[in-house]
Amino acid sequence: MGVIQGEAIRLSDVWVAYSGSGRPAIKEINLKVDYNSLILITGPNGAGKTTLIETCLGLLKPIRGEAFLLGINTKSRKVIKARRECSYVPQDFMKPSYESYTVRHVIKLGLAINACLFGLSELKVKKRILNIARMLQIEDLLDRPIGTLSGGQQQKVYIARALVREPKVLFLDEPFSSIDEESRHVIAKVVHEYVHRKEACALVVSHDVDPIIDFSDIIIHMDNGKITSIEVN
Amino acid sequence: MFEVAVIASLLSGGLCGLLGYYAQRFNIVTLSFSVAHAALAGASLALVIKSDVTYSALMFAIFFALGMGIISTRISPYERELISMGFFSLFNAIAIFMVYMSTSYVLSTVSISVVLWGSILAITKSKLILLAGITAIFMLYLFIFKPQIDSILFDRKLAEAEGIDVDLHTIVLLLFIGIAIAFTLRLTGGFLVFTLLYNPVASAMQLVRKAQWQQVLAPTIGMLAALLGLTFSYILDWPVGATIAIISSTILMVAYITRTIINMKLSRAARRA
Repeated sequence: MGVIQGEAIRLSDVWVAYSGSGRPAIKEINLKVDYNSLILITGPNGAGKTTLIETCLGLLKPIRGEAFLLGINTKSRKVIKARRECSYVPQDFMKPSYESYTVRHVIKLGLAINACLFGLSELKVKKRILNIARMLQIEDLLDRPIGTLSGGQQQKVYIARALVREPKVLFLDEPFSSIDEESRHVIAKVVHEYVHRKEACALVVSHDVDPIIDFSDIIIHMDNGKITSIEVN
Repeated sequence: MFEVAVIASLLSGGLCGLLGYYAQRFNIVTLSFSVAHAALAGASLALVIKSDVTYSALMFAIFFALGMGIISTRISPYERELISMGFFSLFNAIAIFMVYMSTSYVLSTVSISVVLWGSILAITKSKLILLAGITAIFMLYLFIFKPQIDSILFDRKLAEAEGIDVDLHTIVLLLFIGIAIAFTLRLTGGFLVFTLLYNPVASAMQLVRKAQWQQVLAPTIGMLAALLGLTFSYILDWPVGATIAIISSTILMVAYITRTIINMKLSRAARRA
């Protein structure tokens, strides 16, 4: 993959409010994210971190200002195509015990958009899934139903699903919340390597800055819906 | 004639059961009820303007499904429920109003029974072929888009974030619901057609927890309810739609009682352990 020109994300004076709420969840956000960078977004509860990444993805629309994902205005319907180049690991990921999709199937669902007609071959898909599972040390879980896994194991599966898509932009919302210290280091390293190997970019929201802070290129602090500081690491 | 009705009941029950499963998993059950009643309003209008009940129902259902499908992508789920319930009542009122406005001649024909309680006689071979065609197209749609639909069923928000056109699939599903209901209406009547959408999936959810099994069981229960309802109605000379509704509601009650007993036994076993 060659070097990708241009910016991955651009937000210009973006304000976002939830339906029925009188006050904005994020405001006055100006942000430009280039490829080949790992960005850590941190801040207290209610700072607007999740709102920020959902706005970047176009899942939430600005009430003021403009947001662009891969050069496409998120208010346009074309943003659906831009999202196909992105991956997202949501904060509320836990599936109930009776959810019977196997880990292999859940990871494969990440490639659903490529599965039609001229998509990837079954062999390539199998290979990709196995490689990612090896990297994240979940190879032995591949045939287990996702509902039977612990929170930490399920979180790793979602990260595997995000990476198997080989996205240009990776959004991870609290990806370490249920994961033990050793696995956190492995995941942080895998994400860091992926970003620089594929010239992609990653936005990682995390309360807990260890160990991802060591791998981050830029650290964004948020509070009360605003970006309070941007540090280059 | 009875053979045609048997095949139609199996197709209607199976298709509505399957569509009900997807409506439930897509969280558009209330919206699908409104589509069903749009079809009823359309069928009732046909009584007054003296046109074909099925095609009039089909027009209403398709336009409403398309319109609400597009609107629902721009509003919150709560607003969608609110508007759907509003239309649900409105379409019922239109249906009653149209029946009231019908001439005494129309009230003595088979058309009125199609709108109110369904009729075995109303199912013609041409309508049966159309219903079979719709079923085949829906199965083909499920086959082609299985990975995308599975992704939506697994996690709607994640599917949306990964670039799957969730809104478009929702509109397509609503259109299929509208079309299936317009054809099923001849068998069950307009007021009870939604029981074939909701009761089979509700029963399946009580009996099995795994989504894959619910997907198989919902259309199976739909087919069983429609077939048994048709048979009892034929033997006892009862209105077919009402009989199908009684059978499917009975299956739902039995499923609920079975689930309650299973849950009680499991709780007891857990306490002992």
